[in-house]
Amino acid sequence: MRNYIAVIFNDNGKAYKGLHALWELDGYGDITVHGTTVVHRDDWGQFQVDTKETHPALATAVGVGVGALLGALAGPAGAAVGAAGGAAIGAGTGGVVGLTTDLVRADTREEARDETAFVLGAGQSAVIADVSEDSTLPIDTRMRELGGIVRRRSWTTLHDDAWFGSTYLYPYEYVPPAYY
Amino acid sequence: MSVNMSTNKDLDQIRAAAQQLHGAISDAAAKRGGAIKADLEAVGQKAKSVTDSVQASIGAQNEATKKRMQEALADLEAVQKHAAEALKNSGQAFQASIRQTLADARASVQKVSEAVAAKRSAESTKTRK
Repeated sequence: MRNYIAVIFNDNGKAYKGLHALWELDGYGDITVHGTTVVHRDDWGQFQVDTKETHPALATAVGVGVGALLGALAGPAGAAVGAAGGAAIGAGTGGVVGLTTDLVRADTREEARDETAFVLGAGQSAVIADVSEDSTLPIDTRMRELGGIVRRRSWTTLHDDAWFGSTYLYPYEYVPPAYY
Repeated sequence: MSVNMSTNKDLDQIRAAAQQLHGAISDAAAKRGGAIKADLEAVGQKAKSVTDSVQASIGAQNEATKKRMQEALADLEAVQKHAAEALKNSGQAFQASIRQTLADARASVQKVSEAVAAKRSAESTKTRK
């Protein structure tokens, strides 16, 4: 099954360990990772997404795309908030995403088994990823070891919502130089 | 078994090459002036090399994997086309070509990655039987 996941960590360092562990699982063939990024929320509630795009138009597009994805992870109402907040993410002025759940659709559509709303608190970081996994066990086990909480939504469901694609996720392990 | 392991390894290598291609375009897009043009020439050659690898590997794949790789081929050919256009263009047309080249490269990695997932899933199903 193919899912979008958000793995929430209490600090940046652990989020990068989680990112690395995800790509390691891919390397072992346990899962296939199609794209990842890391999103941070500072103590004042502002969002920042990792990007190496220095061109303003590309950087803004990444902010909008990832913002829409964050909102979509939160459910349909969140998608609207996420798209609006996405521009703010790109501009570094913050936004509010991850506020709602999608209980109605969870009953009527094919969903990931443990689909849950994604909420990123102030001071937390999250690894966002598009993955194919035959079982949720490898990711859940490894991320739990690292102190991460895994949230999932079905890739199919989110693509039906047509708010975004996964094109703004890096198709390889990208860690900004500042974090090396 | 050895054939499957070999084709899995080939696919992993193709994905790694496609990931490097995307990274190279992304890095080139951050540059200015003549430096970006030189990088784009290398991007065109690298895209051609990845395209050749996909074409060489496609016959050995199962149907689901083959379908994804054929889609990747179209994206890789688009990378070559738009990188070549960027070399000829300037100003806004140049920027548009760069953005399109990057989008094509991202799409090609996505398709190869989906091919890897399809292959792994098929192998996993066979192992369970």
